[in-house]
Amino acid sequence: MAAPRAFSMQRVAFLVQHTLRVEFRQGHALIGLLLFALSSVYAAFQSVGDDAGAESWNALIWIVLIFTAFNAMARPHPDDRPENRQYLTHVVRPLEWMLARTIYHWALMTVLAALVFAAFSLFLGTDHLVGGRGWWLFAGLELAGWALASCLTLLAAIAALAGAGFGLTAVMGLPLIVPIVLVATRFGNDLLSGLSGEETVENLLFLGALAGGITAFGLVLFPYLWRD
Amino acid sequence: MNHRGFTAVGVALLLYVFAMVAWVPLGPGLVEVMADEQGQTQVIAHGTHFASSPDQLRIFAGTQDRLFPLAFEVVNDHRLLLRPEWPDTLHKRSLDLYVQSPIDGTLSLGNAFFVENAVLVPAHRYASVDVLDGSNQLGFHFPFQPQIFETIRNLMLHVPMWFTMFFLMGISFAQSIRHLGAKTLGLADERAVTSAQTGLFFGIIGLVTGSLWARFTWGDWWVASDPQLNGALVTVLVYAGYLVLRAAVDDPVLRARISAVFNLFAFVLLIILLMIFPRFNESLHPGKGGNPGFNTYDLDSSLRAVFYPAVIGWILLGMGMYRLRLRMESLSRRINRLEP
Repeated sequence: MAAPRAFSMQRVAFLVQHTLRVEFRQGHALIGLLLFALSSVYAAFQSVGDDAGAESWNALIWIVLIFTAFNAMARPHPDDRPENRQYLTHVVRPLEWMLARTIYHWALMTVLAALVFAAFSLFLGTDHLVGGRGWWLFAGLELAGWALASCLTLLAAIAALAGAGFGLTAVMGLPLIVPIVLVATRFGNDLLSGLSGEETVENLLFLGALAGGITAFGLVLFPYLWRD
Repeated sequence: MNHRGFTAVGVALLLYVFAMVAWVPLGPGLVEVMADEQGQTQVIAHGTHFASSPDQLRIFAGTQDRLFPLAFEVVNDHRLLLRPEWPDTLHKRSLDLYVQSPIDGTLSLGNAFFVENAVLVPAHRYASVDVLDGSNQLGFHFPFQPQIFETIRNLMLHVPMWFTMFFLMGISFAQSIRHLGAKTLGLADERAVTSAQTGLFFGIIGLVTGSLWARFTWGDWWVASDPQLNGALVTVLVYAGYLVLRAAVDDPVLRARISAVFNLFAFVLLIILLMIFPRFNESLHPGKGGNPGFNTYDLDSSLRAVFYPAVIGWILLGMGMYRLRLRMESLSRRINRLEP
């Protein structure tokens, strides 16, 4: 049986649902992610206290977001087992699989970024987020989360194909996400050092462009990975 | 052309480059104006010949259009003793220094003096002296640049490393595309990894020479938040990751396919990090973030005469190394086939 010829959005939607269902079936997976994010924030809180300066506040929230993203994207997924993949190559097109995985990771990062932001506001305070800057920073976190998700989805797929786990994704991924981190931290720094959101909006647009560009790149390249 | 041809031409060019780097003198320039122990104002210069024609020296302070002469004494070739008598009224408190000499030409030092007590007046009574025509009588020399001084020779070693790395990574990128386009495991994959390895080697040397240069011109081995530095280090790490990825996969067909995909990703990142990012960020590097580039006015004909051969020489040497490694690979394959 060969892979279906035409691209179908229905199969993408089904794959997203399927991935989510498998995650829930595993039980510990999603809870583990939430706990990891919360305890990282708490560790950050313990290290700087509740009157953190703007610079530490900014540095820590991005570090926590990066590690949360790595934890969420780089862990082995049940669908990545060779026998599952073998089956999937016959019933879905690679583009559909990649799109579904990216959409799923985007959704996951949306939740995790919101959680990190909420926990940060709770523990480390919102003293630096006056005048509507909280919303801007939240938008930045979400966009950075999507960009990280796009990048790490492809890398995790590569690592899964290589039969290697978390370590390989980290070795390949940490340098590759530097552009995202640079733009994101600069955006946060601008905001927390007193610029308004409108004044540093180009960084936000840059993050969006990175997310879109990396996603497009991943969607173009992934079919080559899956070819047998 | 085989690896010997590339290497021979490259080494020949580099011998010329190293000879020039070692023997071409640096042009004259003013380093600083300072007060010595006796409270006298001294001018420190580099590569100048003040003592050979002390009578023909002329020294001015002011700005290019409004200058007044200063009294002075020549201490030695590189040192002058100034006796500035500032007028009560000036058009500017911060003044440049100009030294005109028949041998060294016209040398200038921006904002050499700051006159605190002067009353500023819009009008002026100083004769405007034309000092801009002074060309020097020296032989072939490298231009004197503030901050950079003698380290300008590193231009021939540091910058071509990145050109060579770009060139080799470009080959790697093209071969990875070829591999993904082809159906079978051909030579493209081997070419991609070999050129990436050679390029990585040049990238590491580029980092080391850059770090040395940063120590002498910017004052530190590594400067945080310079986008060019970040980009260069990350690029080296990404290609190191590429080699780690290859080492992680045993099946050669799978390894070739996976690493080709990662390689395309890495090269696009290299373009973003080293060519796009630095233009949008503040950087200490010339030509980036509003700093003037070497090729706008700094890269004069004497530098060009050495820099271009250096670039071509390093690229040819890189090509030679890449070809040599390919040859080693193919020979070791043949040996493996012969051995039972």
